[in-house]
Amino acid sequence: MTEAAPCRHKWAMTNVRHGYLVTEGCFHCRNRTSFFSEEPVPPIDDYHEGEHFWSYLGSSQASRFDLKCGLCGEEAPLKELMALMLCWKCDPDCGVYKAGEREKGPKTWVYVALCADSSHASGQCVHEGGIRALNEYFNAGLEDPEKRILVVPCKLRKSVDSCQGIVLADIGLTELY
Amino acid sequence: MKISEVSAKLGLKAFNQHPDKDIRGVYISDMVSDIIGIKEGNLLVTLQTHKNLIAAANLVDVAAVVYSRGKTPPEDVVALADRARIALFGSPDDTWTLAKKLYELGIR
Repeated sequence: MTEAAPCRHKWAMTNVRHGYLVTEGCFHCRNRTSFFSEEPVPPIDDYHEGEHFWSYLGSSQASRFDLKCGLCGEEAPLKELMALMLCWKCDPDCGVYKAGEREKGPKTWVYVALCADSSHASGQCVHEGGIRALNEYFNAGLEDPEKRILVVPCKLRKSVDSCQGIVLADIGLTELY
Repeated sequence: MKISEVSAKLGLKAFNQHPDKDIRGVYISDMVSDIIGIKEGNLLVTLQTHKNLIAAANLVDVAAVVYSRGKTPPEDVVALADRARIALFGSPDDTWTLAKKLYELGIR
């Protein structure tokens, strides 16, 4: 008996939700966390959770999605993914910078998959299967054969405080001045 | 239809030099979080001249961006688009008028 060849996934976005990426900080431990809110107005109240005292730092309109293969039906849930960020290559000591350098190609663009636990105090990040699916999805059908999109997990970042990049979210559109 | 043909027929103003690619469709949006989901068009019509838009357009392989209502992108946006080989154009038309003209050209 021969084994079936693995599916060459053809990913498509599914379960697209629109809402807010809300970032909070704990003034006690200085950790940061993010969550996705589908409320009409993003929550801004401070609250106490265990040893943390979370305060609202900001929010932006964002969308979440999962990926599903149109060929085999496999799903890649991306519940940990809060947003994508284009790496600005600011620090050669950063793991994201090094991941981009390993690719070598002059047309490689590195995007960081940002998870909820910005400080990674929990050790959790966007899972490996999700990262693989994101890479396959965004590299499928690129017109320039030399262009490459490299998506990496945010746990590779050296520091959330010094990191520079362009977050793909709509910042400021709902702020009042 | 090629970018150059669309540009010539609509009298678009070019903000940078660009490779002449085929236009496969049009998408209209001003939100970065929306653009990352597009697959159906590689010509993006928008009012949003922020750098974030180019970062999103590059991710989904947009060939060209047309700014409507005479919007002009700042220099750092043009520089990022150059790196990403995304052509930038401007039109004095509002977005609806521009959409109609693109449709009348045969772009679906």
